[in-house]
Amino acid sequence: MPEEKSRVTRRDFIRSGIRGTCLLGLGGSMGLLLNRIQGNDTVWQIDPEKCIACEKCMDHCVLEVSAVKCFHKFAMCGYCKLCTGYFEPQPNALDTGAENQVCPTGAIKRGFVEHPYYEYIIDESLCVGCGKCVKGCTAFGNGSLFLQVRHDRCLNCNECAIAVVCPAGAFKRVPADRPYLLKGGEADRSMGL
Amino acid sequence: MTMSEEKKSVTRREFIGKSVKVAGFAVGLGGAMGLTVSRFLNNATGRKLGSVVNTSDHDLRELSAVDPALIQYREAGKITTSAQHLHAIAVDPEDRVYLAADKSIQVFSMDGVHLSELRLNDTPRCLTVTGNGIAYVGMRDHVEIYSPRGLQKASWGGLGQNAVLTSIAVSENDVFVADAGNRVVLRYDASGKLARRIGERDESRDIPGFSVPSPYFDLAVSPDGLLRVANPGQHRVEAYTFDGDLELSWGNPSMGIAGFCGCCNPVNFAMLPDGKFVTCEKGLPRVKVYNAEGGLESVVAGSEAFAKNAKVCALGGGPFGCRTGGMDVAVDSSGSVLVMDPVEKVVRIFERIEDA
Repeated sequence: MPEEKSRVTRRDFIRSGIRGTCLLGLGGSMGLLLNRIQGNDTVWQIDPEKCIACEKCMDHCVLEVSAVKCFHKFAMCGYCKLCTGYFEPQPNALDTGAENQVCPTGAIKRGFVEHPYYEYIIDESLCVGCGKCVKGCTAFGNGSLFLQVRHDRCLNCNECAIAVVCPAGAFKRVPADRPYLLKGGEADRSMGL
Repeated sequence: MTMSEEKKSVTRREFIGKSVKVAGFAVGLGGAMGLTVSRFLNNATGRKLGSVVNTSDHDLRELSAVDPALIQYREAGKITTSAQHLHAIAVDPEDRVYLAADKSIQVFSMDGVHLSELRLNDTPRCLTVTGNGIAYVGMRDHVEIYSPRGLQKASWGGLGQNAVLTSIAVSENDVFVADAGNRVVLRYDASGKLARRIGERDESRDIPGFSVPSPYFDLAVSPDGLLRVANPGQHRVEAYTFDGDLELSWGNPSMGIAGFCGCCNPVNFAMLPDGKFVTCEKGLPRVKVYNAEGGLESVVAGSEAFAKNAKVCALGGGPFGCRTGGMDVAVDSSGSVLVMDPVEKVVRIFERIEDA
């Protein structure tokens, strides 16, 4: 009799299999839960030093109008009369005529400060994140215009559709309590800029 | 067989059952961890590695093209240095080349032989050397003067935390210093006493003021007795008397070869022995020669000659972008043009082609 008890019946075997499957599911669920918890602590952002303003941010965001917008760091701006982020490479005139502007939606507002300085303010409701201004500003100016994911719009998808296609690897997860990657700062000071 | 021995015995079916449980748990946990790691890596990079494409290069290709007929100089030599950062170049009347590099002044012969080095306590940002070998060195906020033997003769007081000295020139009795931070030219007498502030906006004298969007603001004393100052935000070279009267100016903004490109050029310039100007631009790094009236005469070298420098201003070109790529220029007694490229960390020497 003791020998018979120690034998495992088919029913016991199936029961054990079900238990194993449950454990498998539990393990998977814990992993997914962990993934979700981690995801909530971080958000997507663009590293401006890697971004090449390829215009994919404009097209690939799941939102109708991309959550990526141009950000203007005024502390780096030269307040140029001829801003290469605002004007076409060969403008007809240095005025606010649409034909002279590089921005396809007129999202940059040019305002006179004092001779010969002008300020450039981004209207985020019009900005589509194409990065044309970023190209112009970086190519000739101080690079004070750069793209950032705006977190009042971003859905923080687990798999960001822009990150998947970003050719420069500029998209990355950053801590949610420090959600923006801004240019300048200590590195600039060390270079005397 | 005792009872205890019976309990310890495991049948094949039990063994397989336990193995399935352990394997199931391990596979589940491993799968979940794999999923987590996979997602983390995807989130971190968002792409497959090795697929970086710099699409911005294409945009400037057309603008950077230069008509070969305009290029009337050829590269005749190169001075290399082990310095990490090059800031400025000057040539003395004996055609020795002085480089403000790292925390030192390095002296080279025209054929690239390192002659001497003067170590400094801080980073020199600009310099000029007089006929008697006195070196005037502009630090961030003050001027230091050194004898030909490298002894410090004087240090002229601090100009405040906003000062960023970018150029220095010497006439017979005066020293002129360009302060990009305060957008003003300071005229000192030989003893270091501040004699005048030049170029500040003054409508009553029709002086528009300097526009200096980035830390490039150059000046030179020309043979005609006027002070020439680059006004990069206005794309002009302006001529002032030593008393600060604006006499004339020339220069236009244009991506075309005849003008100054981008938001703020020329970044630096030098004067040839015959009174012509050699200018350097950033963004489209090109070196050109203008006559005394500001007409384009020729091109020393176009953007193709400074391919590495051009990339600094392209997107993804580095953390400081166009703010650190500006080339400096000097000329020797024979009219050769020496271009200091801070990106390649070399001085390239260009000679005029005789039959050009």
